[in-house]
Amino acid sequence: MRPVELNSSRTVLIGIGNSSRSDDGMGWAFVEDIEKSSSFKGLSYLRYQLQIEDADLIKEFDHVIFVDSTQEITEAGYYWKECKPGDEIEFSTHALSPNTVLGLCEQVYKRTPRSFILGIQGYDWELKEGISDKARENLDNALKGFKERFLDDSQYIAA
Amino acid sequence: MERKIVIDPVTRVEGHGRVTVHLDKQGKVENAFFHIVEFRGFERFIQGHPYWEAPLLVQRLCGICPVSHHLAAAKAIDQIAGLDPEDLSPTATKLRRLLHFGQVFQSHALHFFYLASPDLLFGLDAPREKRNVVEVAISNKELAKKGILMRKFGQEVIKAIAGKKIHGIAAVPGGVHKTLFEDERQEFLTEGDIPSVYTMITWTKEMVDFIKSYHNQNYKWLDEFASFPSGHLGLVTPKGELELYEGRMRAIDADGNKTLNDVPTDDYIKYFTEGVEKWSYMKFPYLLDYGRDKGWNRVGPLARLNVADRISTPLAQKELEEFKSYSGNKPCNSTMHSHWARLIEMLYCAEEMKILLEDESILGEDLLREGTRRPEGIGIIEAPRGTLIHHYQVDKKGMITKCNLIVSTTHNNEAMNQAVKWVSKKVLDKKKEISEGMLNQVEIAIRAFDPCLSCATHALGKMPLKMEVFDSEDRLILEKEKNTL
Repeated sequence: MRPVELNSSRTVLIGIGNSSRSDDGMGWAFVEDIEKSSSFKGLSYLRYQLQIEDADLIKEFDHVIFVDSTQEITEAGYYWKECKPGDEIEFSTHALSPNTVLGLCEQVYKRTPRSFILGIQGYDWELKEGISDKARENLDNALKGFKERFLDDSQYIAA
Repeated sequence: MERKIVIDPVTRVEGHGRVTVHLDKQGKVENAFFHIVEFRGFERFIQGHPYWEAPLLVQRLCGICPVSHHLAAAKAIDQIAGLDPEDLSPTATKLRRLLHFGQVFQSHALHFFYLASPDLLFGLDAPREKRNVVEVAISNKELAKKGILMRKFGQEVIKAIAGKKIHGIAAVPGGVHKTLFEDERQEFLTEGDIPSVYTMITWTKEMVDFIKSYHNQNYKWLDEFASFPSGHLGLVTPKGELELYEGRMRAIDADGNKTLNDVPTDDYIKYFTEGVEKWSYMKFPYLLDYGRDKGWNRVGPLARLNVADRISTPLAQKELEEFKSYSGNKPCNSTMHSHWARLIEMLYCAEEMKILLEDESILGEDLLREGTRRPEGIGIIEAPRGTLIHHYQVDKKGMITKCNLIVSTTHNNEAMNQAVKWVSKKVLDKKKEISEGMLNQVEIAIRAFDPCLSCATHALGKMPLKMEVFDSEDRLILEKEKNTL
């Protein structure tokens, strides 16, 4: 699949997190930035966390991109990976994973949109507004990488 | 050798918690604790903000039930703006009530389908990889689909009144921000992308029938599991009916004697205080007159049905009669009956939403009232999980100087600890081996309370799971770490 094919009306971008908890707001910040750029042709949504009805939402699309903060240590400050249905066991509805939402969609609606997770590394999770400087750098890198890879028609970078 | 078994965290509840079980040298459970590790600090965070921001800011407390906090805060700032609940316009009150019923309906749907159904469908000893909602969908696709659509219905009600699902503005000081439009009302009254409210009533009735049938086949463990005597607290109308938005506070003891006799919510502080324990960040509310040991109460669906004399809607009232008659019209202290009670409440919410949606006056444009500023405001509602208290004080400029929040799960803190102790003694006493099914039973007891332990914290990989076993000299002898997400 050519990277730019993700930029279509059949793609949904879902930002997950809480902007009142510092770096936990990066999922929203990412989506809000993409919305402002106006070059993204798909639809976008914000979520505090994924819920079971999001299986009903994503069934309408061919591609889904979940964006969230992560505590994982990453090389580039973010990671991009394919999301497979129901791969992981859930321990808390506070953390309904993209995989479980996709698994539900597959089981209930017999649809498995091709899905990806963009995890952006954060450091500060306290109750306050504003992303930390270090996380902001990761967010900017993730935005740059995403735009170059998927929103810029003039470049075709191998997936 | 004593062993301390740790279950960390509790699975499939909102946020996370930690359970420690302490065994004596004979392997008998000596004690068990439910530790709340989250420290929120929201009460300090909101100080210094203007009072009118409170209903917006508190939504960020919890991504699971932001509407409950929004409405409780709204009622409090109404009072600061000089208005009591009866002073609001009828349209504004109906819209707030519709919002609240939508919220409770979808929250209860989420709990039943996502949290409780794996326990009920797959049993106490089901393997861990089976105890999740994807397996529910595999084994009963129709049940899963209905659960998703019932959640969606409630979320769409919230969106219609608040403007959007996240950071919506519904309540403002003295009323609401937006009316309901006719096309929005019709979306809920007719079948379309969203099923109608009539379908919601039908499906909820099916769910109530399911739980009753399930109970008939499994009454022994449902009646006995994690059952213990307790007080119960909830709101009621002046007629003693179940009430979720605006009512009087009633509490009863385990035998049904009133311990709080329909008092005005503005007087809550005369009757309640909060205890602390060194092993938990969460407090332990109790009735002053009865002390720490006897004054604590359960809250939530089971407690609410126990304190209420009746329900104002016909189908739910019929179910309440059957529910109460099962325990001989005495308070039900069977923790697992919370699931049954929760579904009866869902039916009540669905019936109330129908009444409000069929009432054309909900389309009115008389949305706001004005009053004279007061220095203090109290807002108490019944959130899905139980009684929720918001209390603010402001200075002359309207800046919040003091905030006291008692969230629903805090009221249930003692009850959850009692449940953990009960189950631990029953399933872990003198056992030479601990199975995952046994550990899951402790969690089943906690999940029945539908606790919400954290506040909208969600980041991939944020909550690693850890289990620790200590010997009698507190040496770590077993450690297990599980990654989430």
